[in-house]
Amino acid sequence: MTTAPVLEGRNLTKYFWVKQGRGLLARKSPVHAVDNVSVSLDARKVTAFVGESGAGKTTVARILAEITKPDKGTVLLDGKPVQAGRPRSYAKQVQMVFQDPFASLNPVHRVRHDLERPLKIHHLVNGNTDKAVDDLLERVALKPPRQFADKFPHELSGGQRQRVAIARALAVKPRVLIADEPVSMLDVSIRLGVLNLLADLRDREKLAILYITHDIASARYLADTIVVMYAGQLVEAAPSVELTDRPAHPYTQLLLSAAPDPDRAQPPVLAGIGAPPSLLAPPTGCRFHPRCPHVMEVCRHKAPPSIAVSPDHIAACWLHVDPAERQASENGVLATGPLEPEKSKR
Amino acid sequence: MTIDSTTLTQVPVTLERARVLRIPRSPKVIAGLVILGVFSVVAIIGRWITPYSPNATDTQNWVQHVLVPGTGGDSGFPASYYPLPLGPSAAHWLGTTVFAQDAWSQLLASTQATMFVGLLAAAIATVLSIIFGVTAGYIGGATDEGLSLVANVSLAIPGLPLLIVLADYVPSAGSSLVLVAAIIAVTTWAYTARTLRAQTLSLRNRDFVEASRVSGEGPLRIIGVEILPNLIPIVAASFLFTSLTAIYAYVAISFLGLAGSPTGSPPGLWNWGEMLREGFANNAVRGGWWWWWAPPGICVALLGTGLALVNFGIDEFINPRLRTSGLTARAARKAGAHVSTTLGLTPVMRGAATVPNTTPSTADAVLEIRGLSVDYGYGDQAVHAVRDCDLVLRRGRVLGLAGESGSGKTTLALAAIRLLRAPAVITEGQVLFHSKPFTRDNPKETIDMLAAGPHRLREIRWSEIAVVLQSSLNALNPVTTIGAQFDDLLRAHRPRMSRDERYTRGVELLDMVGMNGDRLRSYPHELSGGMRQRAMIAMALALEPQVMVLDEPTTALDVVTQREILEELMGLRDRLGFAALFITHDLSLLVEFADDIAVMYAGRLMERAPANSLFRAPRLPYTHGLLHCFPPMHGKRVPMAGIPGSPPDLRDLPSGCAFHPRCKWALDQCKHDVPVLGSIPGPNREVACWLHRNGATPPAELSLAEPGDVMRERLSQVNIQ
Repeated sequence: MTTAPVLEGRNLTKYFWVKQGRGLLARKSPVHAVDNVSVSLDARKVTAFVGESGAGKTTVARILAEITKPDKGTVLLDGKPVQAGRPRSYAKQVQMVFQDPFASLNPVHRVRHDLERPLKIHHLVNGNTDKAVDDLLERVALKPPRQFADKFPHELSGGQRQRVAIARALAVKPRVLIADEPVSMLDVSIRLGVLNLLADLRDREKLAILYITHDIASARYLADTIVVMYAGQLVEAAPSVELTDRPAHPYTQLLLSAAPDPDRAQPPVLAGIGAPPSLLAPPTGCRFHPRCPHVMEVCRHKAPPSIAVSPDHIAACWLHVDPAERQASENGVLATGPLEPEKSKR
Repeated sequence: MTIDSTTLTQVPVTLERARVLRIPRSPKVIAGLVILGVFSVVAIIGRWITPYSPNATDTQNWVQHVLVPGTGGDSGFPASYYPLPLGPSAAHWLGTTVFAQDAWSQLLASTQATMFVGLLAAAIATVLSIIFGVTAGYIGGATDEGLSLVANVSLAIPGLPLLIVLADYVPSAGSSLVLVAAIIAVTTWAYTARTLRAQTLSLRNRDFVEASRVSGEGPLRIIGVEILPNLIPIVAASFLFTSLTAIYAYVAISFLGLAGSPTGSPPGLWNWGEMLREGFANNAVRGGWWWWWAPPGICVALLGTGLALVNFGIDEFINPRLRTSGLTARAARKAGAHVSTTLGLTPVMRGAATVPNTTPSTADAVLEIRGLSVDYGYGDQAVHAVRDCDLVLRRGRVLGLAGESGSGKTTLALAAIRLLRAPAVITEGQVLFHSKPFTRDNPKETIDMLAAGPHRLREIRWSEIAVVLQSSLNALNPVTTIGAQFDDLLRAHRPRMSRDERYTRGVELLDMVGMNGDRLRSYPHELSGGMRQRAMIAMALALEPQVMVLDEPTTALDVVTQREILEELMGLRDRLGFAALFITHDLSLLVEFADDIAVMYAGRLMERAPANSLFRAPRLPYTHGLLHCFPPMHGKRVPMAGIPGSPPDLRDLPSGCAFHPRCKWALDQCKHDVPVLGSIPGPNREVACWLHRNGATPPAELSLAEPGDVMRERLSQVNIQ
């Protein structure tokens, strides 16, 4: 925490408006896709966003990449607010890799085109483009580069395509790389190769990487920090080993118990079955409360504050609030007497 | 969120490649191109190779006079005479007109203007539609609504009347071909514009467009370089279609006399519509002078046919499904496969199914696959997706089938129950279904799945062997409720059940998979992905099948839902006693949920073992590598390498063992000889690997001790809070 973050999102909020009902009676209601999420990315660090589908991970990524405009909140690059409209100078600093390598490369163009365009747009080469393209391909371990530059996407395997997509993002020498589920469409046996490439880029090129995934095991493997999202909100953030070994939020605990783990001796106990809520009408208070095994009265009415469970480990959960303080907030909300708070975890 | 590309990717990929490389060379397209070629040549040189000038009167062959209508007799005008049109002769190949002009020369000279106007109009219309359609689609919002409104209004106005009014209203229209073409274009562009707008809308949000936006590309270049090239097949198809429409339109307005006269200014611009008009105005039909009016009519029809034929080719190019449907049945018959006319039956190569030995190999076998090989395509083009696979599914057990995309796991399972369609074809092997008694007179029955006819298979499917696929939204009918779909199913297979009984059964089934009975009233789109998959499982269980084929049943779901559903499924397995074939790419999941696991690589079964043995002590280098591809959830983080290289291309497999290029222990023998699945020491263990043959000493990693007799905790004991 000594260095200032490269890219920062503060209090990001995004609603998507959907039509409900038909004809003249149709009205638009907001889907609370992302609610008041703050995130900061540091150079030489991989931050992982973990959550189920619909948790808002991708929306945060798209806001940070300036593809989607937030309804509230600001994106700061090196501490300065970014001007709207995705200026080229921003494109040069912040790049993105998409989930599906079969969709993110234009089928009609050769690999060379994909890598040349960013170089030309940002005037990064004069003269020897071939050399620059070769260098890029080598940086993502596509060797020999000459063999790959003139191929069409359909001539490459999924892993090779994803490497090309990463090379395209690296072409402008960005400082931030946003990777939205970069390995989930790839075959199991080649996922580690791409993850290792990202780790390597973090160390060698000092990139700040945002790694978005639903696979908490891969987040633990790659990331320095893991941030868990649930129903559009942040629920927990901590260094990755700390988070997976000592999860503080009941949702994180549920997520970890559900993840496939052949090493498990006992079948896991799933605490909090059910599905994420509809984001058209998110639950009041803590959004996880309808599923939470430790739910208390206060959880139903008041959104939990973010509590530092230990240094660097933050959880948004009433369980970690000092009971007296909790009582106080509860009384502030409720006229009726508080229920007996349940025993905290395990 | 994971949408794994495992299922059946091989065939579409091949088609995709074929698409990029060439337009199909079908007889239709060739015929169309020949017709267009001939007309184009005539259009270019026709005016200069006419034997006579199209306007010249042949005075030498002026034989007989015909009274010009409305002259002589009572009309008050002095009688005036035309020459009698002459039939075809050596001097006049297509005879002469009533003005003693050469019809063949007129036909040749007419081609140019007709095609010129047609193509020019189509070009203008295409440019207009690209500008309107692509701009509207790309920019979206108010611009889109405005431009779409213009297009829709012009679509709503009937084309020909508008054309007639315009052609008549613009005073100098007749004098300029370009003006005529422009008028036609204005009346025909909107249809294409709508198509292009729709396509652009879908391309606009594709990842590759987004990616170039992220890299800082400007909108003009994105439209021109990223989007337009992807629209070329559609643009080409609509260009041809518009040409056809434009030619018809031009002929029509010429026939009505609105497109200028060949004798007016500029002179000599004959076209087919003009020829028809002159013929009809001068009694050509009543006079029986077919050589005058029939040839231009035939030319219009022929040119139209040519354009339409080439358009078919482009359609097939855009939509490869049109192509496979016609070709494969023929190719299959030629290659010697039994092709059933019933849809949804995997064809079997003649002579593939030898008279099977129907004795079950173990007493509790329920589905037995022996030496099954499945190809996609026939002859030289064939891709061997599954080769020589043996599997025995035992009653009440879960057999996991693991492998990466293209390993053939889905192909193997679906071919065994004959669910794959052509061009998949079973080339070898046996599949036996040892059913429990399902007719009263027969205590136990063995059905040869490869010899069974459509009727027999229909009887077995669903009621005895049910399938749950990955995409439940596609498997459920979107327009009826879940309840109606249960009702249909039960009515078809259990005709004696009453309406109330069917309803009760529906509620019971939903309850079984942890859903409220109220959900019978829901439509599929009202359910979440997990709920839909539960409903699918309930439906699969409705007839109490003996075998469940689960093809990546939870891959599209979140981890929490995935675990809930799998735990429920395993609980039901314990209660109902069905056997399950569980196909997935996620080996770590199988280790937790399957009794036995079979690992496939490049179409072959490579290792088979009880789940725990396979996980604790893998014998195959590939399995070992795969198990080290899942980062652990506990302990210190250590760098892991995965498996080097990538899964092989089935069309170009490495020699010998298909895994040898990625194997760090590969022997010389592995490069030349294909290893076969064979027993090795241990409980029910088999492996196809040279490292375990011929007395070789396998590396330490592949000879770990068997994990003892620790009974794995059954998942039925799981307690869900």
